[in-house]
Amino acid sequence: MQFDDKVPIYYQIKNYLYHEMMTGQLKPGDKLPAVRQLAVDLTVNVNTVQRALGEMITEGILESKRGKGNFVTMDEPRITQLKEHLVMEQLERVYEQLHALNLTDEQIIESLKRFIAQRRQQND
Amino acid sequence: MTNVLAIEQLTYKHNLKTILNNVDLTLQTGKIVGLLGENGAGKTTLMRLVTGSAKGSGTIAVCGDSVAAHHKSHVSFTEQLRGFKSNTRVDRVANFYRLVYPDFDGQRFEELVTFLQIDTSLKLGALSKGMKEKVVIALTLARQTQLYLLDEPFSGIDSMSRKKIISSIIKWKPADATMVISDHYVAEIAPILDEVVIVKNQTIYAHKASDAIREEFGIGIEAYYESLYEGSVSHD
Repeated sequence: MQFDDKVPIYYQIKNYLYHEMMTGQLKPGDKLPAVRQLAVDLTVNVNTVQRALGEMITEGILESKRGKGNFVTMDEPRITQLKEHLVMEQLERVYEQLHALNLTDEQIIESLKRFIAQRRQQND
Repeated sequence: MTNVLAIEQLTYKHNLKTILNNVDLTLQTGKIVGLLGENGAGKTTLMRLVTGSAKGSGTIAVCGDSVAAHHKSHVSFTEQLRGFKSNTRVDRVANFYRLVYPDFDGQRFEELVTFLQIDTSLKLGALSKGMKEKVVIALTLARQTQLYLLDEPFSGIDSMSRKKIISSIIKWKPADATMVISDHYVAEIAPILDEVVIVKNQTIYAHKASDAIREEFGIGIEAYYESLYEGSVSHD
């Protein structure tokens, strides 16, 4: 995995794991690889992986079972909530950038509709 | 958290020239630390002072022990194999390490040799630069110590060997040991560093956690390092 050196690595590890969960590579109840294995796979520091996993445990996305390892939560509403959060985070960025171009909310919605229509045509 | 290394008021002069002046540096256990600085900044000298091979004024405590003669048993340093003849086979060098260092773990060495794809029947003189560096890394990591000092392990070697060496560092560094990696080219190792220590103007110019640099300044480790050398980041 390629990291952006300007962004804290623990944050990028979290995003990577969120992504794996959203795309179904990691399913509810799945066991995560051991910390050191994850560090080797991602070419990062063990401490940094631990920090990322620690935060995800606090967030309730992962569950740590003593002596067994870390597992993706089976709490479906929590995962739905996470997905909503990730979508909003992406939209916030787009929204702020379009606002900075002096678009009104209505114009943003219209632009987004046009954009989606165009993309559909391209893909057909 | 305990300290694996505590340096206080360290000064080192060579031929009337000050190489290091008034260095204070404390490292905690379990970290990977990048020791960054220009060629000639004093990175290798600092490592040699820590191992006890060079002597300056001030105190250096490794695992709380400030007797220089004891340091070699706490510290595994990447020696450049200069003491061996070029017709010595790699497995002979390993046997020598096994005799000299009681903490040399033959099992670990075998695992490292397999992982790094080293042919131990080769003579030192027949090794490419990348292969030689892999041998040095395998010998250094096969020792079970609290402090590992890797002196520019990536200089002048191909990118595949670099990647292998980085992976072996992550795989074999004991959880409670600290590893110091010196380099003047930081981009490739930046993701594995907990902290960076920057040597400039004969002293420790900055010592900071990597993710704190990214969070506080919004820049990468390499950009931070370069900015300190150009003097464009103000800091306390």
